[in-house]
Amino acid sequence: MPTGQGGKAKLLTLPEAAARIADGARLAIGGFAVYQHPMALVRELVRQGRRDLTVVGHVNGNDVDLLAGAGCLRRVESSYVGLEKYGLAPCFRRRVERGQLEMVDYPEVLSFDRFRASADNLSFWPCDYLGGTDILTHNPAIKPFDCPLTGRRLWAVPPAAPDVVVLHAVAADERGNVVIPARHLLPQSLDVTMGRACDTVIVTTEQVVSRDYIRRHARQVLLPSYRVSHVVEVPWGAHPCPVLGRYVIDDAHFRQYAAAAATEDGFAGYLERYVTGPRDHDEYLERVGRAHLERLREVDAP
Amino acid sequence: MLAAALARALRDEEVGFTGLVTGGAAAVFGTAIPLAAMELARLSHAPGLTILLAGWSHNPDLFGLPELPDSEFDAKLRDLAADAQMMDYPGPWSIRRGDIDFGFSSAVQVDRSGNINSVCVGDYRRPRVRLVGPILQPEHMALFGREYVMMPHHERRNFVERVDYVSGVGYPGGRAGRRRLGLERGGPAWVITPRCIFDFDEDDGRMRVRSMHPGQTPAVLQAATGFDLGDLAGVPTTESPTPEELELLRRQVDPHGILLRSADRSTR
Repeated sequence: MPTGQGGKAKLLTLPEAAARIADGARLAIGGFAVYQHPMALVRELVRQGRRDLTVVGHVNGNDVDLLAGAGCLRRVESSYVGLEKYGLAPCFRRRVERGQLEMVDYPEVLSFDRFRASADNLSFWPCDYLGGTDILTHNPAIKPFDCPLTGRRLWAVPPAAPDVVVLHAVAADERGNVVIPARHLLPQSLDVTMGRACDTVIVTTEQVVSRDYIRRHARQVLLPSYRVSHVVEVPWGAHPCPVLGRYVIDDAHFRQYAAAAATEDGFAGYLERYVTGPRDHDEYLERVGRAHLERLREVDAP
Repeated sequence: MLAAALARALRDEEVGFTGLVTGGAAAVFGTAIPLAAMELARLSHAPGLTILLAGWSHNPDLFGLPELPDSEFDAKLRDLAADAQMMDYPGPWSIRRGDIDFGFSSAVQVDRSGNINSVCVGDYRRPRVRLVGPILQPEHMALFGREYVMMPHHERRNFVERVDYVSGVGYPGGRAGRRRLGLERGGPAWVITPRCIFDFDEDDGRMRVRSMHPGQTPAVLQAATGFDLGDLAGVPTTESPTPEELELLRRQVDPHGILLRSADRSTR
Protein backbone atom coordinates (compact mmCIF):
# COMPACT_ATOMS: atom_id res chain seq x y z
CA MET A 1 0.00 0.00 0.00
CA PRO A 2 1.68 3.24 -1.09
CA THR A 3 0.10 5.74 1.29
CA GLY A 4 -1.34 5.07 4.73
CA GLN A 5 -4.55 3.11 5.23
CA GLY A 6 -6.73 5.71 3.54
CA GLY A 7 -9.33 6.90 6.00
CA LYS A 8 -11.88 5.45 8.32
CA ALA A 9 -13.97 2.34 8.01
CA LYS A 10 -17.68 2.86 7.42
CA LEU A 11 -18.94 -0.63 8.06
CA LEU A 12 -22.32 -1.02 9.72
CA THR A 13 -24.56 -3.97 10.39
CA LEU A 14 -27.83 -4.15 8.47
CA PRO A 15 -29.94 -3.12 11.52
CA GLU A 16 -27.57 -0.20 12.20
CA ALA A 17 -27.79 0.95 8.59
CA ALA A 18 -31.60 0.72 8.50
CA ALA A 19 -31.74 2.72 11.75
CA ARG A 20 -30.09 5.63 9.88
CA ILE A 21 -33.27 5.98 7.83
CA ALA A 22 -35.78 7.90 9.93
CA ASP A 23 -39.56 7.68 9.87
CA GLY A 24 -40.82 10.16 7.27
CA ALA A 25 -37.55 10.22 5.30
CA ARG A 26 -37.33 10.73 1.53
CA LEU A 27 -35.70 7.48 0.51
CA ALA A 28 -34.24 6.60 -2.89
CA ILE A 29 -33.79 2.88 -3.48
CA GLY A 30 -31.26 1.69 -6.06
CA GLY A 31 -32.09 -0.92 -8.65
CA PHE A 32 -34.68 -0.84 -11.42
CA ALA A 33 -38.08 -2.61 -11.73
CA VAL A 34 -37.25 -6.15 -10.52
CA TYR A 35 -33.44 -5.76 -10.79
CA GLN A 36 -30.82 -5.35 -8.06
CA HIS A 37 -32.77 -3.53 -5.35
CA PRO A 38 -31.13 -3.57 -1.88
CA MET A 39 -33.87 -5.93 -0.71
CA ALA A 40 -32.16 -7.07 2.51
CA LEU A 41 -32.15 -3.48 3.68
CA VAL A 42 -35.74 -3.00 2.54
CA ARG A 43 -36.76 -6.06 4.60
CA GLU A 44 -34.88 -4.68 7.60
CA LEU A 45 -36.85 -1.41 7.33
CA VAL A 46 -40.04 -3.48 7.54
CA ARG A 47 -38.66 -5.41 10.55
CA GLN A 48 -37.93 -2.13 12.29
CA GLY A 49 -41.46 -0.89 11.60
CA ARG A 50 -40.45 2.21 9.66
CA ARG A 51 -43.40 4.51 8.85
CA ASP A 52 -44.38 7.40 6.55
CA LEU A 53 -41.51 7.01 4.13
CA THR A 54 -41.57 8.71 0.75
CA VAL A 55 -39.85 6.62 -1.89
CA VAL A 56 -38.46 8.82 -4.63
CA GLY A 57 -37.49 6.64 -7.55
CA HIS A 58 -37.53 6.17 -11.30
CA VAL A 59 -38.60 2.60 -12.09
CA ASN A 60 -39.71 0.66 -9.01
CA GLY A 61 -40.90 -2.85 -8.37
CA ASN A 62 -40.94 -5.31 -5.50
CA ASP A 63 -38.99 -2.83 -3.34
CA VAL A 64 -41.92 -0.42 -3.26
CA ASP A 65 -44.50 -3.19 -3.25
CA LEU A 66 -43.09 -4.80 -0.09
CA LEU A 67 -42.84 -1.45 1.72
CA ALA A 68 -46.36 -0.52 0.59
CA GLY A 69 -47.82 -3.83 1.75
CA ALA A 70 -46.08 -3.56 5.13
CA GLY A 71 -47.51 -0.08 5.69
CA CYS A 72 -44.17 1.75 5.63
CA LEU A 73 -45.04 4.28 2.93
CA ARG A 74 -46.87 7.56 2.76
CA ARG A 75 -45.93 8.57 -0.78
CA VAL A 76 -44.20 7.29 -3.90
CA GLU A 77 -42.73 9.41 -6.72
CA SER A 78 -41.85 7.28 -9.75
CA SER A 79 -42.57 6.50 -13.40
CA TYR A 80 -43.39 2.83 -12.83
CA VAL A 81 -44.29 0.52 -9.98
CA GLY A 82 -44.80 -3.02 -11.22
CA LEU A 83 -43.35 -6.51 -11.28
CA GLU A 84 -42.65 -6.71 -15.04
CA LYS A 85 -43.44 -10.25 -16.19
CA TYR A 86 -44.90 -11.06 -12.77
CA GLY A 87 -47.67 -8.51 -13.25
CA LEU A 88 -48.92 -5.40 -11.46
CA ALA A 89 -47.50 -4.63 -8.01
CA PRO A 90 -50.35 -6.03 -5.91
CA CYS A 91 -49.79 -4.31 -2.54
CA PHE A 92 -48.99 -0.96 -4.13
CA ARG A 93 -52.12 -1.27 -6.23
CA ARG A 94 -54.35 -2.05 -3.23
CA ARG A 95 -52.99 0.86 -1.21
CA VAL A 96 -53.38 3.39 -4.02
CA GLU A 97 -56.88 2.17 -4.90
CA ARG A 98 -57.92 2.65 -1.26
CA GLY A 99 -56.43 6.11 -1.08
CA GLN A 100 -53.89 4.97 1.54
CA LEU A 101 -50.83 5.79 -0.51
CA GLU A 102 -50.15 9.00 -2.39
CA MET A 103 -48.72 8.39 -5.86
CA VAL A 104 -46.92 11.10 -7.81
CA ASP A 105 -46.36 10.05 -11.42
CA TYR A 106 -43.38 11.24 -13.43
CA PRO A 107 -42.28 10.34 -16.98
CA GLU A 108 -39.41 7.86 -16.98
CA VAL A 109 -36.65 10.01 -18.46
CA LEU A 110 -37.56 12.95 -16.23
CA SER A 111 -37.48 10.69 -13.20
CA PHE A 112 -33.86 9.86 -14.13
CA ASP A 113 -33.17 13.55 -14.68
CA ARG A 114 -34.53 14.46 -11.25
CA PHE A 115 -31.51 12.62 -9.82
CA ARG A 116 -29.20 14.41 -12.25
CA ALA A 117 -30.67 17.69 -10.98
CA SER A 118 -29.84 16.68 -7.41
CA ALA A 119 -26.38 15.49 -8.45
CA ASP A 120 -25.73 18.86 -10.11
CA ASN A 121 -27.31 20.74 -7.20
CA LEU A 122 -29.86 22.37 -9.50
CA SER A 123 -33.17 23.64 -8.17
CA PHE A 124 -35.05 22.17 -11.14
CA TRP A 125 -34.62 20.23 -14.38
CA PRO A 126 -36.08 21.90 -17.48
CA CYS A 127 -38.47 20.03 -19.72
CA ASP A 128 -40.35 20.91 -22.91
CA TYR A 129 -42.63 17.96 -23.56
CA LEU A 130 -45.28 17.74 -20.85
CA GLY A 131 -48.05 19.73 -22.59
CA GLY A 132 -51.33 17.82 -22.77
CA THR A 133 -50.38 15.14 -20.24
CA ASP A 134 -52.13 14.53 -16.93
CA ILE A 135 -48.67 14.56 -15.31
CA LEU A 136 -49.28 18.31 -15.11
CA THR A 137 -52.90 17.97 -13.93
CA HIS A 138 -51.91 16.08 -10.80
CA ASN A 139 -48.45 17.39 -9.95
CA PRO A 140 -48.42 20.98 -8.67
CA ALA A 141 -44.69 20.68 -7.91
CA ILE A 142 -44.00 20.98 -11.65
CA LYS A 143 -44.17 24.67 -12.59
CA PRO A 144 -44.46 26.25 -16.03
CA PHE A 145 -42.11 29.02 -17.10
CA ASP A 146 -41.06 30.70 -20.31
CA CYS A 147 -37.51 30.15 -21.51
CA PRO A 148 -35.68 33.43 -20.83
CA LEU A 149 -33.74 33.08 -24.10
CA THR A 150 -36.35 31.89 -26.59
CA GLY A 151 -39.68 32.50 -24.87
CA ARG A 152 -40.61 28.86 -25.35
CA ARG A 153 -42.95 27.31 -22.79
CA LEU A 154 -41.01 25.01 -20.49
CA TRP A 155 -41.65 23.26 -17.21
CA ALA A 156 -39.45 23.19 -14.12
CA VAL A 157 -39.36 19.67 -12.70
CA PRO A 158 -38.29 19.42 -9.05
CA PRO A 159 -35.09 17.53 -8.21
CA ALA A 160 -35.32 14.10 -6.58
CA ALA A 161 -33.78 15.52 -3.39
CA PRO A 162 -33.57 12.27 -1.39
CA ASP A 163 -32.59 12.38 2.30
CA VAL A 164 -31.00 8.94 1.98
CA VAL A 165 -29.96 6.76 -0.95
CA VAL A 166 -29.54 3.00 -0.53
CA LEU A 167 -27.89 0.88 -3.24
CA HIS A 168 -26.79 -2.70 -3.64
CA ALA A 169 -23.38 -3.30 -5.26
CA VAL A 170 -21.24 -6.31 -6.11
CA ALA A 171 -18.18 -5.06 -4.22
CA ALA A 172 -16.98 -2.19 -2.04
CA ASP A 173 -14.18 -1.72 0.43
CA GLU A 174 -14.76 -0.77 4.05
CA ARG A 175 -14.17 2.90 3.28
CA GLY A 176 -16.92 3.00 0.67
CA ASN A 177 -15.13 2.72 -2.66
CA VAL A 178 -17.80 1.02 -4.73
CA VAL A 179 -17.05 -1.19 -7.75
CA ILE A 180 -19.48 -1.04 -10.67
CA PRO A 181 -18.66 -3.81 -13.20
CA ALA A 182 -17.48 -2.73 -16.64
CA ARG A 183 -20.22 -4.76 -18.31
CA HIS A 184 -23.02 -3.05 -16.44
CA LEU A 185 -26.38 -2.01 -17.81
CA LEU A 186 -28.82 0.84 -17.25
CA PRO A 187 -29.88 -0.20 -13.70
CA GLN A 188 -26.29 -0.06 -12.44
CA SER A 189 -25.65 3.23 -14.27
CA LEU A 190 -28.70 4.78 -12.62
CA ASP A 191 -27.44 3.53 -9.24
CA VAL A 192 -24.33 5.62 -9.83
CA THR A 193 -26.44 8.67 -10.70
CA MET A 194 -28.42 8.14 -7.49
CA GLY A 195 -25.23 7.77 -5.50
CA ARG A 196 -24.12 11.19 -6.71
CA ALA A 197 -27.45 12.79 -5.82
CA CYS A 198 -27.38 12.69 -2.03
CA ASP A 199 -25.05 13.28 0.94
CA THR A 200 -26.19 10.16 2.79
CA VAL A 201 -25.51 7.09 0.68
CA ILE A 202 -25.76 3.61 2.17
CA VAL A 203 -24.27 0.83 0.07
CA THR A 204 -25.04 -2.80 0.77
CA THR A 205 -22.58 -5.03 -1.00
CA GLU A 206 -22.27 -8.69 -1.90
CA GLN A 207 -18.72 -8.57 -0.62
CA VAL A 208 -16.39 -6.20 1.22
CA VAL A 209 -13.11 -6.29 -0.67
CA SER A 210 -9.62 -5.20 0.32
CA ARG A 211 -8.11 -1.82 -0.37
CA ASP A 212 -5.65 -3.62 -2.58
CA TYR A 213 -8.50 -5.01 -4.70
CA ILE A 214 -9.93 -1.51 -5.05
CA ARG A 215 -6.58 -0.11 -6.17
CA ARG A 216 -6.29 -2.79 -8.82
CA HIS A 217 -9.83 -2.05 -10.09
CA ALA A 218 -9.76 1.72 -9.70
CA ARG A 219 -11.30 2.40 -13.10
CA GLN A 220 -14.43 0.57 -12.00
CA VAL A 221 -14.79 2.61 -8.81
CA LEU A 222 -17.59 4.85 -10.06
CA LEU A 223 -18.61 5.82 -6.53
CA PRO A 224 -15.47 6.79 -4.60
CA SER A 225 -15.35 6.70 -0.81
CA TYR A 226 -16.20 10.38 -0.24
CA ARG A 227 -19.60 9.79 -1.92
CA VAL A 228 -20.50 6.91 0.39
CA SER A 229 -21.57 7.19 4.04
CA HIS A 230 -22.00 3.59 5.14
CA VAL A 231 -21.11 0.14 3.86
CA VAL A 232 -22.91 -3.07 4.83
CA GLU A 233 -21.74 -6.51 3.76
CA VAL A 234 -24.84 -8.46 2.71
CA PRO A 235 -24.32 -11.56 0.56
CA TRP A 236 -27.45 -12.25 -1.50
CA GLY A 237 -28.49 -8.76 -0.46
CA ALA A 238 -30.72 -8.17 -3.50
CA HIS A 239 -32.54 -11.51 -3.41
CA PRO A 240 -35.08 -12.25 -4.90
CA CYS A 241 -33.86 -9.64 -7.41
CA PRO A 242 -30.87 -10.52 -9.57
CA VAL A 243 -27.43 -8.96 -9.30
CA LEU A 244 -25.95 -8.68 -12.79
CA GLY A 245 -23.00 -11.05 -13.10
CA ARG A 246 -23.51 -12.66 -9.67
CA TYR A 247 -26.93 -14.30 -9.54
CA VAL A 248 -30.07 -14.42 -11.66
CA ILE A 249 -33.58 -13.49 -10.65
CA ASP A 250 -35.27 -15.98 -8.32
CA ASP A 251 -38.15 -16.74 -10.64
CA ALA A 252 -39.83 -19.19 -8.26
CA HIS A 253 -39.66 -16.73 -5.38
CA PHE A 254 -41.09 -13.90 -7.50
CA ARG A 255 -43.97 -16.13 -8.59
CA GLN A 256 -44.56 -17.08 -4.97
CA TYR A 257 -44.50 -13.41 -3.97
CA ALA A 258 -46.87 -12.29 -6.73
CA ALA A 259 -49.33 -15.07 -5.91
CA ALA A 260 -49.18 -14.42 -2.15
CA ALA A 261 -49.44 -10.64 -2.42
CA ALA A 262 -52.58 -10.92 -4.55
CA THR A 263 -54.57 -10.98 -1.29
CA GLU A 264 -53.98 -9.24 2.03
CA ASP A 265 -53.96 -12.54 3.90
CA GLY A 266 -51.55 -14.04 1.43
CA PHE A 267 -49.23 -11.05 1.78
CA ALA A 268 -49.42 -11.27 5.60
CA GLY A 269 -48.33 -14.89 5.32
CA TYR A 270 -45.42 -13.96 3.05
CA LEU A 271 -44.37 -11.18 5.42
CA GLU A 272 -44.39 -13.50 8.42
CA ARG A 273 -42.47 -16.22 6.61
CA TYR A 274 -39.81 -14.11 4.91
CA VAL A 275 -39.59 -10.69 6.56
CA THR A 276 -40.86 -10.28 10.11
CA GLY A 277 -40.50 -13.95 11.06
CA PRO A 278 -36.77 -14.29 10.36
CA ARG A 279 -34.67 -12.52 13.01
CA ASP A 280 -32.17 -11.27 10.47
CA HIS A 281 -30.90 -11.63 6.90
CA ASP A 282 -29.11 -14.92 7.67
CA GLU A 283 -32.32 -16.46 8.89
CA TYR A 284 -34.06 -15.15 5.76
CA LEU A 285 -31.46 -16.92 3.63
CA GLU A 286 -32.02 -20.14 5.61
CA ARG A 287 -35.73 -19.94 4.91
CA VAL A 288 -35.13 -19.36 1.21
CA GLY A 289 -32.72 -22.31 1.29
CA ARG A 290 -28.97 -22.33 0.69
CA ALA A 291 -29.16 -25.04 -1.97
CA HIS A 292 -31.87 -23.09 -3.79
CA LEU A 293 -29.72 -19.93 -3.69
CA GLU A 294 -26.68 -21.75 -5.07
CA ARG A 295 -28.65 -22.65 -8.17
CA LEU A 296 -29.14 -18.94 -8.94
CA ARG A 297 -25.43 -18.15 -9.24
CA GLU A 298 -24.04 -16.85 -12.50
CA VAL A 299 -20.41 -16.17 -13.24
CA ASP A 300 -19.21 -13.07 -15.05
CA ALA A 301 -15.74 -12.08 -16.05
CA PRO A 302 -14.98 -8.90 -14.05
CA MET B 1 -50.05 -9.84 -41.45
CA LEU B 2 -49.55 -6.99 -38.98
CA ALA B 3 -45.78 -7.36 -39.10
CA ALA B 4 -45.85 -7.08 -42.89
CA ALA B 5 -48.19 -4.08 -42.84
CA LEU B 6 -45.94 -2.32 -40.35
CA ALA B 7 -42.73 -3.26 -42.14
CA ARG B 8 -43.91 -1.46 -45.30
CA ALA B 9 -44.27 1.76 -43.28
CA LEU B 10 -40.69 1.69 -41.96
CA ARG B 11 -37.94 3.45 -43.89
CA ASP B 12 -34.26 2.84 -44.39
CA GLU B 13 -31.84 4.43 -41.87
CA GLU B 14 -34.59 4.94 -39.30
CA VAL B 15 -34.17 4.11 -35.62
CA GLY B 16 -36.99 2.16 -34.00
CA PHE B 17 -37.51 1.65 -30.27
CA THR B 18 -39.35 -1.26 -28.71
CA GLY B 19 -39.62 -2.57 -25.17
CA LEU B 20 -39.36 -6.19 -24.16
CA VAL B 21 -42.89 -6.93 -23.02
CA THR B 22 -43.66 -10.36 -21.65
CA GLY B 23 -46.78 -12.44 -21.27
CA GLY B 24 -49.46 -13.45 -23.77
CA ALA B 25 -51.10 -10.96 -26.10
CA ALA B 26 -49.19 -8.04 -24.55
CA ALA B 27 -45.88 -9.64 -25.56
CA VAL B 28 -47.12 -10.35 -29.07
CA PHE B 29 -48.27 -6.78 -29.66
CA GLY B 30 -45.64 -5.05 -27.56
CA THR B 31 -42.57 -6.96 -28.74
CA ALA B 32 -43.02 -9.83 -31.19
CA ILE B 33 -44.87 -7.94 -33.97
CA PRO B 34 -42.63 -4.84 -33.70
CA LEU B 35 -39.47 -6.97 -33.83
CA ALA B 36 -40.75 -9.02 -36.76
CA ALA B 37 -41.76 -5.85 -38.62
CA MET B 38 -38.41 -4.14 -38.09
CA GLU B 39 -36.40 -7.21 -39.06
CA LEU B 40 -38.57 -7.80 -42.13
CA ALA B 41 -37.99 -4.17 -43.15
CA ARG B 42 -34.23 -4.62 -42.64
CA LEU B 43 -34.24 -7.70 -44.87
CA SER B 44 -36.31 -6.11 -47.62
CA HIS B 45 -36.13 -2.36 -48.17
CA ALA B 46 -34.51 -0.88 -45.03
CA PRO B 47 -31.12 -2.54 -44.44
CA GLY B 48 -29.90 0.47 -42.47
CA LEU B 49 -32.75 0.48 -39.97
CA THR B 50 -31.63 0.28 -36.34
CA ILE B 51 -33.63 -1.83 -33.91
CA LEU B 52 -33.35 -0.59 -30.32
CA LEU B 53 -34.52 -3.55 -28.28
CA ALA B 54 -35.54 -2.65 -24.76
CA GLY B 55 -34.30 0.78 -25.74
CA TRP B 56 -30.66 -0.21 -25.33
CA SER B 57 -29.47 -3.15 -27.44
CA HIS B 58 -28.84 -2.01 -31.03
CA ASN B 59 -29.68 -4.71 -33.60
CA PRO B 60 -29.20 -7.66 -31.23
CA ASP B 61 -28.68 -11.04 -32.82
CA LEU B 62 -31.79 -12.62 -31.39
CA PHE B 63 -33.49 -14.15 -34.35
CA GLY B 64 -31.56 -17.40 -34.05
CA LEU B 65 -32.48 -17.89 -30.40
CA PRO B 66 -34.73 -20.77 -29.36
CA GLU B 67 -36.92 -18.33 -27.42
CA LEU B 68 -37.22 -14.59 -26.87
CA PRO B 69 -35.37 -13.24 -23.83
CA ASP B 70 -37.94 -12.38 -21.17
CA SER B 71 -35.96 -9.86 -19.17
CA GLU B 72 -34.71 -6.43 -20.26
CA PHE B 73 -31.61 -6.11 -18.11
CA ASP B 74 -30.04 -9.51 -17.67
CA ALA B 75 -26.84 -11.14 -18.91
CA LYS B 76 -28.66 -13.11 -21.61
CA LEU B 77 -29.64 -10.02 -23.58
CA ARG B 78 -26.39 -8.25 -22.65
CA ASP B 79 -24.29 -11.08 -24.06
CA LEU B 80 -26.05 -11.26 -27.45
CA ALA B 81 -23.99 -9.91 -30.32
CA ALA B 82 -25.17 -6.41 -31.20
CA ASP B 83 -24.05 -3.26 -33.03
CA ALA B 84 -24.02 -1.10 -29.89
CA GLN B 85 -25.31 -1.16 -26.34
CA MET B 86 -26.57 1.64 -24.18
CA MET B 87 -25.04 0.94 -20.77
CA ASP B 88 -25.51 4.33 -19.20
CA TYR B 89 -28.03 7.12 -19.06
CA PRO B 90 -27.42 9.48 -20.82
CA GLY B 91 -26.31 7.05 -23.48
CA PRO B 92 -25.68 6.80 -27.22
CA TRP B 93 -29.00 8.29 -28.32
CA SER B 94 -30.48 11.65 -27.49
CA ILE B 95 -34.18 11.26 -26.98
CA ARG B 96 -34.71 15.02 -27.00
CA ARG B 97 -32.82 15.71 -30.23
CA GLY B 98 -35.14 13.34 -32.06
CA ASP B 99 -32.71 10.46 -32.56
CA ILE B 100 -35.56 7.97 -32.35
CA ASP B 101 -37.71 7.94 -35.48
CA PHE B 102 -40.46 5.67 -34.28
CA GLY B 103 -41.47 3.66 -31.26
CA PHE B 104 -43.99 1.11 -30.13
CA SER B 105 -46.03 1.40 -26.97
CA SER B 106 -48.97 -0.39 -25.43
CA ALA B 107 -51.70 0.96 -23.22
CA VAL B 108 -54.78 -0.11 -21.33
CA GLN B 109 -56.92 2.68 -22.77
CA VAL B 110 -56.76 4.75 -25.93
CA ASP B 111 -59.27 7.42 -26.92
CA ARG B 112 -60.56 8.88 -30.18
CA SER B 113 -57.81 11.52 -30.20
CA GLY B 114 -55.15 8.87 -29.74
CA ASN B 115 -54.30 9.76 -26.13
CA ILE B 116 -53.06 6.69 -24.26
CA ASN B 117 -53.23 5.64 -20.62
CA SER B 118 -51.20 3.19 -18.56
CA VAL B 119 -51.70 4.89 -15.18
CA CYS B 120 -55.17 4.19 -13.81
CA VAL B 121 -58.75 3.25 -14.60
CA GLY B 122 -61.27 5.50 -12.86
CA ASP B 123 -60.58 8.51 -10.66
CA TYR B 124 -56.87 9.31 -10.26
CA ARG B 125 -56.96 9.65 -6.48
CA ARG B 126 -59.21 6.63 -5.85
CA PRO B 127 -58.76 4.54 -9.00
CA ARG B 128 -60.76 1.43 -9.72
CA VAL B 129 -57.54 -0.08 -11.05
CA ARG B 130 -54.11 1.39 -10.39
CA LEU B 131 -51.78 0.43 -13.22
CA VAL B 132 -47.99 0.70 -13.50
CA GLY B 133 -47.55 4.40 -14.28
CA PRO B 134 -46.68 6.57 -17.28
CA ILE B 135 -43.26 4.92 -17.80
CA LEU B 136 -41.78 6.21 -21.07
CA GLN B 137 -45.15 7.00 -22.72
CA PRO B 138 -44.87 10.79 -22.43
CA GLU B 139 -41.53 10.60 -24.23
CA HIS B 140 -42.75 8.09 -26.85
CA MET B 141 -45.69 10.28 -27.78
CA ALA B 142 -43.89 13.63 -27.72
CA LEU B 143 -40.22 13.12 -28.59
CA PHE B 144 -40.16 10.20 -31.04
CA GLY B 145 -40.77 10.96 -34.70
CA ARG B 146 -43.94 8.87 -34.69
CA GLU B 147 -45.55 6.18 -32.60
CA TYR B 148 -47.24 2.88 -33.33
CA VAL B 149 -49.64 2.21 -30.48
CA MET B 150 -49.93 -1.55 -30.08
CA MET B 151 -53.18 -2.53 -28.37
CA PRO B 152 -53.29 -6.22 -27.40
CA HIS B 153 -57.03 -5.97 -26.67
CA HIS B 154 -59.76 -4.19 -28.58
CA GLU B 155 -62.95 -3.95 -26.53
CA ARG B 156 -65.12 -1.04 -25.41
CA ARG B 157 -63.21 -0.75 -22.14
CA ASN B 158 -59.95 -0.20 -24.07
CA PHE B 159 -61.27 2.14 -26.78
CA VAL B 160 -62.95 4.94 -24.87
CA GLU B 161 -64.30 8.40 -25.60
CA ARG B 162 -61.71 9.94 -23.23
CA VAL B 163 -58.91 8.14 -21.38
CA ASP B 164 -58.98 8.35 -17.57
CA TYR B 165 -55.39 9.63 -17.52
CA VAL B 166 -53.36 11.02 -20.41
CA SER B 167 -49.91 9.48 -20.07
CA GLY B 168 -49.13 9.90 -23.77
CA VAL B 169 -50.62 12.68 -25.90
CA GLY B 170 -52.37 11.98 -29.22
CA TYR B 171 -53.94 14.66 -31.42
CA PRO B 172 -56.26 16.74 -29.23
CA GLY B 173 -57.19 19.43 -31.78
CA GLY B 174 -55.09 17.79 -34.48
CA ARG B 175 -51.56 18.85 -35.43
CA ALA B 176 -52.41 22.46 -34.59
CA GLY B 177 -53.63 21.33 -31.17
CA ARG B 178 -50.35 19.54 -30.54
CA ARG B 179 -48.42 22.65 -31.51
CA ARG B 180 -50.46 24.69 -29.02
CA LEU B 181 -49.38 22.21 -26.35
CA GLY B 182 -45.74 22.78 -27.31
CA LEU B 183 -45.42 19.45 -29.12
CA GLU B 184 -43.53 20.24 -32.31
CA ARG B 185 -43.24 16.73 -33.69
CA GLY B 186 -44.28 13.15 -33.16
CA GLY B 187 -47.56 11.65 -32.11
CA PRO B 188 -49.30 8.40 -32.94
CA ALA B 189 -49.16 7.29 -36.58
CA TRP B 190 -51.21 4.12 -36.24
CA VAL B 191 -53.06 2.24 -33.54
CA ILE B 192 -52.83 -1.50 -34.19
CA THR B 193 -55.29 -3.91 -32.60
CA PRO B 194 -56.39 -7.52 -33.01
CA ARG B 195 -59.33 -6.19 -35.07
CA CYS B 196 -58.04 -3.35 -37.23
CA ILE B 197 -55.44 -0.69 -37.94
CA PHE B 198 -56.32 2.93 -37.17
CA ASP B 199 -54.61 6.03 -38.44
CA PHE B 200 -55.42 9.70 -37.84
CA ASP B 201 -56.89 12.66 -39.60
CA GLU B 202 -54.14 14.98 -38.45
CA ASP B 203 -56.25 18.09 -39.14
CA ASP B 204 -59.18 17.31 -36.89
CA GLY B 205 -57.24 14.85 -34.73
CA ARG B 206 -59.68 11.96 -35.00
CA MET B 207 -58.76 8.34 -35.17
CA ARG B 208 -60.11 6.58 -38.27
CA VAL B 209 -60.15 2.98 -39.38
CA ARG B 210 -57.47 2.47 -42.00
CA SER B 211 -58.14 -1.24 -42.53
CA MET B 212 -60.10 -4.06 -40.92
CA HIS B 213 -58.57 -7.47 -40.38
CA PRO B 214 -60.16 -10.43 -42.19
CA GLY B 215 -63.25 -11.66 -40.37
CA GLN B 216 -64.17 -8.29 -38.86
CA THR B 217 -67.30 -6.45 -39.96
CA PRO B 218 -68.22 -2.78 -39.46
CA ALA B 219 -70.90 -3.80 -36.95
CA VAL B 220 -68.55 -5.98 -34.91
CA LEU B 221 -65.84 -3.34 -34.93
CA GLN B 222 -68.20 -0.55 -33.86
CA ALA B 223 -69.64 -2.74 -31.09
CA ALA B 224 -66.16 -3.32 -29.69
CA THR B 225 -65.27 0.39 -29.75
CA GLY B 226 -66.44 2.96 -27.20
CA PHE B 227 -66.61 5.88 -29.64
CA ASP B 228 -68.26 6.50 -32.98
CA LEU B 229 -66.19 5.18 -35.87
CA GLY B 230 -68.25 6.93 -38.53
CA ASP B 231 -69.13 5.32 -41.83
CA LEU B 232 -67.03 2.19 -42.31
CA ALA B 233 -68.31 1.38 -45.81
CA GLY B 234 -65.40 1.14 -48.17
CA VAL B 235 -62.79 0.52 -45.47
CA PRO B 236 -60.37 -1.99 -46.98
CA THR B 237 -59.33 -5.30 -45.49
CA THR B 238 -55.86 -5.32 -43.94
CA GLU B 239 -53.52 -6.54 -46.64
CA SER B 240 -52.08 -10.01 -46.29
CA PRO B 241 -48.33 -10.45 -46.56
CA THR B 242 -47.05 -11.12 -50.06
CA PRO B 243 -45.53 -14.57 -50.73
CA GLU B 244 -42.09 -12.91 -50.65
CA GLU B 245 -42.79 -11.32 -47.27
CA LEU B 246 -44.10 -14.60 -45.87
CA GLU B 247 -41.02 -16.39 -47.10
CA LEU B 248 -38.73 -13.86 -45.42
CA LEU B 249 -40.72 -13.93 -42.20
CA ARG B 250 -40.68 -17.72 -41.98
CA ARG B 251 -37.18 -18.46 -43.18
CA GLN B 252 -35.07 -15.52 -42.07
CA VAL B 253 -36.84 -13.22 -39.62
CA ASP B 254 -38.16 -15.95 -37.41
CA PRO B 255 -36.69 -19.33 -38.32
CA HIS B 256 -37.62 -20.83 -34.95
CA GLY B 257 -41.08 -19.31 -34.85
CA ILE B 258 -40.41 -17.54 -31.56
CA LEU B 259 -42.10 -14.34 -32.72
CA LEU B 260 -44.94 -15.24 -34.99
CA ARG B 261 -46.22 -18.53 -33.64
CA SER B 262 -47.93 -16.71 -30.84
CA ALA B 263 -48.84 -13.76 -33.05
CA ASP B 264 -50.85 -15.93 -35.43
CA ARG B 265 -52.89 -17.22 -32.51
CA SER B 266 -53.67 -13.89 -30.97
CA THR B 267 -54.72 -12.05 -34.13
CA ARG B 268 -57.24 -14.83 -34.90
